[in-house]
Amino acid sequence: MLEQMAELVDPLYLPGPQAVLGAFIDANRCLVVDENSGRTVCGVQNYYLWEHLIASLQRIGVGVALAAVLGIALGALMSMWEPANTAFAPFLNFLRALPPLGYIGLIIVWVGIGDTSKYLLLFLAAFPPIVIATIDGVRGVREDYLSAARSMGASSPQMARFVVLPAATASIFSGVRLAVGFAWTTVVAAELNNGIPGIGGLAYISGTQLNTALTIACIIVIGLVALALDGAIRWVGDRLVPWHGKV
Amino acid sequence: MNRTAIDSVDSAADSAVVSLDGVSQRFVTDSGDVVHALAETDLTIPQGQFVCVVGPSGCGKTTLLKIIAGFLEPTGGTARYRGQDITEPGAERGVVFQQPNLFPWFSVRENVALGMRMRKVGKKERSQKAQEYLDLVGLGDFGEAKPYELSGGMQQRAQIARVLANETDVILMDEPFGALDAITRARLQADLLSIQRKQHRTVFFITHDVDEAVFLGDRVLVMSARPGRVVLDQEVTLSSQAGRVLGEEMRRLPEFIELRERVAGAIEH
Repeated sequence: MLEQMAELVDPLYLPGPQAVLGAFIDANRCLVVDENSGRTVCGVQNYYLWEHLIASLQRIGVGVALAAVLGIALGALMSMWEPANTAFAPFLNFLRALPPLGYIGLIIVWVGIGDTSKYLLLFLAAFPPIVIATIDGVRGVREDYLSAARSMGASSPQMARFVVLPAATASIFSGVRLAVGFAWTTVVAAELNNGIPGIGGLAYISGTQLNTALTIACIIVIGLVALALDGAIRWVGDRLVPWHGKV
Repeated sequence: MNRTAIDSVDSAADSAVVSLDGVSQRFVTDSGDVVHALAETDLTIPQGQFVCVVGPSGCGKTTLLKIIAGFLEPTGGTARYRGQDITEPGAERGVVFQQPNLFPWFSVRENVALGMRMRKVGKKERSQKAQEYLDLVGLGDFGEAKPYELSGGMQQRAQIARVLANETDVILMDEPFGALDAITRARLQADLLSIQRKQHRTVFFITHDVDEAVFLGDRVLVMSARPGRVVLDQEVTLSSQAGRVLGEEMRRLPEFIELRERVAGAIEH
């Protein structure tokens, strides 16, 4: 039935599920392209599809990890020291509003076409939500937790370690979840130039080469992997913050 | 030579654990009105006294507690702890809050041991001591549990253990049993009283329940609202002579009933 519907449209515009599945399988194996010479081609663009995926995951991992480390630190500083908040908040909101595609060219001019520009772009996409979630988390710590700790004789560093950080963990974690989502939506932009290997780059290039079946296969892979990753982060979060929703 | 003189000065300062000297509090509300939450109040609490403060809501009893705890700086007068001005919260003035607020990221035992951990007491020693206090409040088997796995009454017990284990000198309690059912509440009252008698701690206990105040206190302060002030400062002799009658029987003593009437009368005026 799906097949029949798909035939109503030119397969170039909307390839059928079989073509997509075929593109997916072909992108993960070696094919003999010339019977006479026996020449084979493995994957697409010289990499298997899963290698493209791993390359993108690595970039997202580096970008988000960097954003988490610096974002939590800046968020903590901004929430506890008002001058820092006044100084950084406008820049952060400015950055948040920028479309990554808009400034990728600039970043390439600045740091080159290599992986650094991709890390930087993913970092910039992931950074604001983590900072904002950290600020919310720290400011939202229950007043009576703070009072209790103070009347137990907590010093400021002890307060941060024993009360504020654990209490803010749930919020910080949802910030990281959002950040990973933003990183996925940015990965295609990051991999527009010199993005092979990379699943975002592959999705883009296959589209320009009218290999729409592969484009759709890439999109589906990106979506499913993003879903799985989000589930994994939630799973970790539930284990780190088992009291969430219970107090 | 001057030994005796110095000693007597020391013991005079020692005898008052908390002293308030003309302490008052005004708030400015969001709409700009000035609320006189606490009129000038003098109060001296000696070592080992169980002081209950009773009064309607808005009478400034929580304000008084916050000032002693160091959460709130009075707008007038001075509050002192053992002769020193109170400027900030401190471990020697532990607070048991109305709502249980154990830290959910720690186990019950870790919560009770947290104050000791902050003072850098060794792991083994603090765990042992935490267990002692958990036993004392009847939670000996729940050290490994998470706070949110306990009932409200058990969480309040754990909160009390947390304050006791922190070698708190003055225990400040803000309607700690207000949210509990009658049976749990009666049991906790009796337990708290026997712990206080054993350890001779100084307690400042806020309640809106006259019966609870007379049952627990060596001294009952009745406060009235707008501005908040102490209208009755009543010594309670029956419970301090205790060891004798504790628990439910005390509530049936004619003296108890008479005191309760007198305190209730003071609230209505």
